Amino acid sequence: MSGTDDSNAFVPSRRTVLVLGAAAASTVVTVRPALAQTAGSVLNCEIPVPGPHAGGQYIAPDGSLVAPGTPGAAPPLTRPLRGEEVKQLLRSGSTPAGVDPSSAQAYANYIRRLQAGMSGFTCYASLQMPR
Amino acid sequence: MAGPRYIADPANALTSVALDGLTVLFHAPSGMTHIVASPAPEILDALRAGPADAAELLRRLRARFEFDGDEAIHARLGELEAAGLVRRA
Repeated sequence: MSGTDDSNAFVPSRRTVLVLGAAAASTVVTVRPALAQTAGSVLNCEIPVPGPHAGGQYIAPDGSLVAPGTPGAAPPLTRPLRGEEVKQLLRSGSTPAGVDPSSAQAYANYIRRLQAGMSGFTCYASLQMPR
Repeated sequence: MAGPRYIADPANALTSVALDGLTVLFHAPSGMTHIVASPAPEILDALRAGPADAAELLRRLRARFEFDGDEAIHARLGELEAAGLVRRA
């Protein structure tokens, strides 16, 4: 380039056409973080109380499984609890709809005792993850 | 009447990947990912020269590009502000 006049080196010889677009045409789309979608899924996952492995068994106040009809124990729930309900139950003790409030603590303790491989464990573990 | 002045984060706050006419931007300060189309990348680049109101921004863009429809710059800045890619100076 020696010997040439490059004083206009940064001026394009043909200017690019820029389309600012119509006022109503959006040019920015924000991708929701994957974590936000995961959180939504977690709140909709389900935990059966008790799991299918213990069908018909009652839940003692400490969350352990006991024989049907054991005095002081709570009967199996007729429907699984959703993640959102479990989160509220564990954090604030609020009783899910249709659940006997006097048995709620037994159900909460059952969920706390869930271990890997038991139905609902993945849902419960997901609820513990920081967001 | 001077409008609001806008500023963009420095280039090192954004990871940019061009994708066949679109640009994917990862905005590190917010952790958000955005898919943008022209003229958003050009506006962000022009704002890195310093804070500017719409009129100044149009002057900077006009130094590099040819375009019509100046009034749409307000909509583009509004989108970028809503996405957190620009903010008021």
